Amino acid sequence: MKTLKLVTAALLIVASLGAQAQLTGREIVDKAYNIPTGDDQTSVLTMTLTNKSGQTRVRKIQQFTKDLGDTEKSIMFFMTPADVKNTSFMNWSYDSDKADDQWIYLPALKKVKRISSDSKSDYFMGSDFTYDDLGDRKLDADDHKLLREETVDGVECYVVESVSKDEDYMYSKTVTWIRKENFIGLKKEFYDEDEELLKTLSIKKLEEIDGIWVITHSEMENVQKNHKTIMELNDIKINTGVPASKFSERMMTRGI
Amino acid sequence: MEKILNKLLKFKWLSMLVIIAASAFFIFEMKENTAMETNLDKYMPQDHPAFIYSDKAESWFNIQDGIIVAIENKNGIFNTETLDTLKQLTKRFQKFDEINKDDVTSLYTADNIVGTEDGMDVKRFFTRVPKTEEKLKKLQESVRINEMIFGRLVSENEQVTVIIAEIGDDVFTPEFYDEILEVAKMSETDDIKIHVAGRPIVEGEMALLGPADMKKMVPIVILVIFVVLLITLRSFKGTLITLGVVFLSTIWAFGLMATVGIPIYAVSTMIPVMLIAIGVADGIHLYSHLHTFVDHNPQASKLEATKDMIKHLWKPVVMTSVTTAVGFISLLTSEVYPVKYFGLFTAFGVMMAMVFSLVFLPAGIMIFGLPKAKKIDVSEDKEGHSHSKLANNFAAGVIKHKYVSIIGAAVIVVLSIIGMQKMWINSSFLDKFEKDSDIVLTDKFINENFGGTSSLNLILDSEGKKDKFKEPEVLKLVDKMQKDVDNKLAVVGNTFSLTDYINRMNKVMNADKEEFNTIPDSKNMVAQYLLLYEMSGDPENLNKVVDYDYEKLNITFQLKKDDSKAINSALDIIHTYEDDFNKMGITMNYAGSGYKGLVFTDLILEGQIKSMVLSLLLIIVLISLMFKNFKIGLISSVPIIITAVISFGIMGFLGIPLSTTTALLSSIAIGIGIDYAVHFLEQYRTNAANTDDKMATAQKTMAHSGKAIIFNAIVVIAGFLVLLFSVFPPNRELGALVSLNMFTSFVGTLTIMLVLLYVSNVYFKKKKED
Repeated sequence: MKTLKLVTAALLIVASLGAQAQLTGREIVDKAYNIPTGDDQTSVLTMTLTNKSGQTRVRKIQQFTKDLGDTEKSIMFFMTPADVKNTSFMNWSYDSDKADDQWIYLPALKKVKRISSDSKSDYFMGSDFTYDDLGDRKLDADDHKLLREETVDGVECYVVESVSKDEDYMYSKTVTWIRKENFIGLKKEFYDEDEELLKTLSIKKLEEIDGIWVITHSEMENVQKNHKTIMELNDIKINTGVPASKFSERMMTRGI
Repeated sequence: MEKILNKLLKFKWLSMLVIIAASAFFIFEMKENTAMETNLDKYMPQDHPAFIYSDKAESWFNIQDGIIVAIENKNGIFNTETLDTLKQLTKRFQKFDEINKDDVTSLYTADNIVGTEDGMDVKRFFTRVPKTEEKLKKLQESVRINEMIFGRLVSENEQVTVIIAEIGDDVFTPEFYDEILEVAKMSETDDIKIHVAGRPIVEGEMALLGPADMKKMVPIVILVIFVVLLITLRSFKGTLITLGVVFLSTIWAFGLMATVGIPIYAVSTMIPVMLIAIGVADGIHLYSHLHTFVDHNPQASKLEATKDMIKHLWKPVVMTSVTTAVGFISLLTSEVYPVKYFGLFTAFGVMMAMVFSLVFLPAGIMIFGLPKAKKIDVSEDKEGHSHSKLANNFAAGVIKHKYVSIIGAAVIVVLSIIGMQKMWINSSFLDKFEKDSDIVLTDKFINENFGGTSSLNLILDSEGKKDKFKEPEVLKLVDKMQKDVDNKLAVVGNTFSLTDYINRMNKVMNADKEEFNTIPDSKNMVAQYLLLYEMSGDPENLNKVVDYDYEKLNITFQLKKDDSKAINSALDIIHTYEDDFNKMGITMNYAGSGYKGLVFTDLILEGQIKSMVLSLLLIIVLISLMFKNFKIGLISSVPIIITAVISFGIMGFLGIPLSTTTALLSSIAIGIGIDYAVHFLEQYRTNAANTDDKMATAQKTMAHSGKAIIFNAIVVIAGFLVLLFSVFPPNRELGALVSLNMFTSFVGTLTIMLVLLYVSNVYFKKKKED
């Protein structure tokens, strides 16, 4: 019996190793897209935009997100700069093909307005990140291919190439370095329609908060425009039970 | 000097060989190292404050000149075929290596921001080309109500839509242009016409057309000069040698340029023009003297004849060349490098022409022999002191009716000064083309349908005060100024700045109500609209109108004409707002190629006027020293002044604007005017030394120098009149003005200058006192 157990265990190990070796590009990306993020999250996002002349714009935003199964809702309030304080923005994104619902509240106007935008490649708050870059991309929008495995700065990674199925998509392809350890990205290259390098994303800092991995510092650089965005997350709280009622037009007008 | 020149006659073959060998070297250098400079920005003085600021602003706001591709369909553009052409062409232009993808704008790339009942809608106008009648109708409606698009990307009659492709300063090449035209041609159908325009196209065409036309015309000019020279010199050998002097000096000037690594600029094409007009003078005077000598001494050997020629003429040849060269060297005071080089290398060419006239030409005579003597009928009554009846009568006539010359000259000068008041400066490139050329017609077509093909950028600078351009009172003033300029001037088709975005956002956020098409009163509101635009529109668009810290604003005025009058009329209205902006701590600056062109033309003119005054003073001093007589110096300046004044006066009356080419042309007045004057004065002095008779002196000088001057004028005028058949209008103006200058120089020298000489009694007073 003992031997049998050992053999079974050995077989299982071999099988799992084999399985790991057999991971396809698609499977790797699927795992990367489905890293647990918790049911809700609260944080302060500091976004620093730097243009080619070295001028910067710094924006501090209090943000709340909640995963409601088939819908992910987020609400954000600008803390600084002062002239846009309490401007708020709400986004509902759906697992189905339905387009996101978005609202904006301008305190100077004292009205909540719906924004409808048909473009998924829209840049997020004037940064170098698009909504897609921030994790809104669907797995099967691209063909994924495992290019190679390599070690970058002591971190073992899969290198996966994802080619867009839609020819009109703003990126012809992306190349992602994904950590073998936890399937969190390390860096990513974005290529434009002419297959020239457009942007590079580097994940500078990861933190494990309540068992959940959170990217707390990332930098996106548009190498064609010499424009850069740094995103830093602070005061992160996970699974604190943010109520679903937080994500309403009425709450938008309340401010932080 | 005379001794050296005579000694050189013994080494005629050696002199020839050395000159030809050196010329061969320069030809080789030209082949190896000659480079054309067609990038107009390279012409501008980079350290001039206006250019420094403009260059900086261009990089802050990514201000570039745009190629405009207009797609025209007389049946309207809102149909599947035309929209598909628009989409395909837009994509094709985005793929050009020379064009940055994001710098291509059209209805296909533009965002449509519209207000709805409960919010705001940001959409592309279309991504897939609409195929159904219903969808086409919807697109048409959405274009009509978006004033950031209607009239800007789609014409108001809905028959034309444009693609604007902005390109850098240095990417335009003939191949690129050909490729654009080819792409455009391929998209044309029976219904769809494609037009290509814009400043890069105009600049590129001009940089190519001018020199290309010159290349065709110059050989004809030289041929005509050759034929006329042949007739006047009565000698094939003499003609060849005289033209040889001009060729060699041109080769040496360009050869030296290539050797020291200075590229050929557009103004450099004026160097051969100057050298042809000025260089033949020495040869004609030398041969004219030789003819007279041989005619009077048919038995003389060629060595005697040549020595006599050198004896009498080396001085005036050196004097004219030195004074002309000094005139050109005064162009070094210009701030514009191509003009400095033009002055320097023309001066070099003139000095070389002098060397060749004194070494190469005599060596040529020694090798090829003398011209044939003409029999002189001594018995004929010449009615005067010289061998030429015509010269005698003319000189006597001029002196007898001296008040005709004086009053005539005075009247002409006064009239010219009146004409000069009408002179205007033009930095337009488009005006240099034929009125019915494709490039002008396309430009006109686009200007009729859209805001304008030229632009002026006004940069408002708060000098480091962050968020200044979020303040409603500042933006309201900007908005007022934009509307003021737009309404008052027909030539301004459109204005564009940050205010257009804010007006639009305000309207959109207020359910698209027209009364909200204004700047809101609250600074926070402005800031929030801008944030909203950044979040929903393309933030890159804002970078073109305002800097990151809202310290600097870029306002674009679109003009339907690129001439200085149009730019200045806009500047005049803008200036009336300067005090108000200054009070807010905001300064005004300008940018863009149109503005730089204006400043550049002003600089050239200013430099030209400065250098003309300077060279005139230098020449008066030089001549006074050479002739050891201040009065002579003053008299010698008369032909120059008359030539220049008449030239400018006629330009004023005929409406020929001052431009880079026509301004530089005034140098020719100096070069030729002084040549004629010096030859005439030197001859007059020599003749005066032998007689007490003023009339005899005048008549002899007229027969000798006067004849050479007329020959010279006829030869050059005949040659340059050929340019009137040029296809490039500036080259036609050049031909007309060179001919005019030659004509007035010679008439001025032979009439008013002679009269002044006669009246002033120089060279005779002393004798009387003795």
